Amino acid sequence: MSEPVGGAAATTADDVAAQVGRALPGGRFTVERWFAWLLADAALEQPHASAPDGAGDELAHPLLAWTAATQAMGVTWDELFAWFGSSADDGPMFGEHETVWHAPMRVGRTYLVSGEITSADRKSGRSGVFDVIGYAFRLHDEDNGAHVADCWNSLILPRRSS
Amino acid sequence: MSGRGDDGVGVHPGDGVAVAHRGGPLAAGMRLPEWEVPEVDAEKMKTTAALLRDPTPIHWDTAALRALGMGDRAINQGPLNMAYVMNMLAGFAGGHDRVRRLRVRFRGNVRAGDRLRAGGVVTGVRTRQHGSSGETLCDCDIELSVVDGDTVLTGTATVALPEEGSDDE
Repeated sequence: MSEPVGGAAATTADDVAAQVGRALPGGRFTVERWFAWLLADAALEQPHASAPDGAGDELAHPLLAWTAATQAMGVTWDELFAWFGSSADDGPMFGEHETVWHAPMRVGRTYLVSGEITSADRKSGRSGVFDVIGYAFRLHDEDNGAHVADCWNSLILPRRSS
Repeated sequence: MSGRGDDGVGVHPGDGVAVAHRGGPLAAGMRLPEWEVPEVDAEKMKTTAALLRDPTPIHWDTAALRALGMGDRAINQGPLNMAYVMNMLAGFAGGHDRVRRLRVRFRGNVRAGDRLRAGGVVTGVRTRQHGSSGETLCDCDIELSVVDGDTVLTGTATVALPEEGSDDE
């Protein structure tokens, strides 16, 4: 990826660590039929949600938990990267991920998303200096308040100029 | 995409119903039915990038890849790699609603054109209270690999098993 510009190179380990505990704005995500269909198709799974006469409430692909969380986290990916002085051009990568589903994801439901930054650690390895950012989401069903899923993720942000 | 059964573990994927109890009880060490992606499709990455509003060009702009010295085959989104493992687990347990937990570590890239295989092994079977009744859970180690290549994702998972004699077994 290209070199970071401006303040990105000056982002210190303390700057990164200071983001721990910062809440994501959060939001709400409705699993619309077309979205569920396209996501299931992209995931190479039968897109059951395609039936135009479906009664609603069909199962959606479980990847929808992470998808809903990140679509309704309240910031764009570029904005999230910028919290840490990074950008998409720096080559951010997934590190680890965990989802716990307390209930299946369903078409037509609206999910409330909340979350926060849980960790931020500067490390170095063969590829150079990088930051490992942990962030977590909770999903609740807007209609009944049920706790539907928890997602935890880690993001690797290369520090090519550090 | 295909699911491949392994008669040695008593599981038979691909018929759209729960498979985990057929052919006998599960035990630690048994392998899960494998699930394959014959060829990773770059067009699916473009759809996914749009759905996820993912601005990272390595998933859809091969000119950007070449400019970065990263070859000319687009790099699959990590969530799609996770989804293939979810599909494998759903085939094993009898549906996506039976996948209770998935934890993964991303160890390498999947590129357009790669052939993939998802699989795993049972590490334990247990029961827990679930609502007013109990449910049987199966813990697994899982992985996703490029066929004749590297393992690109490893982790652990838990699925709920159908009760013996239930309609969805």
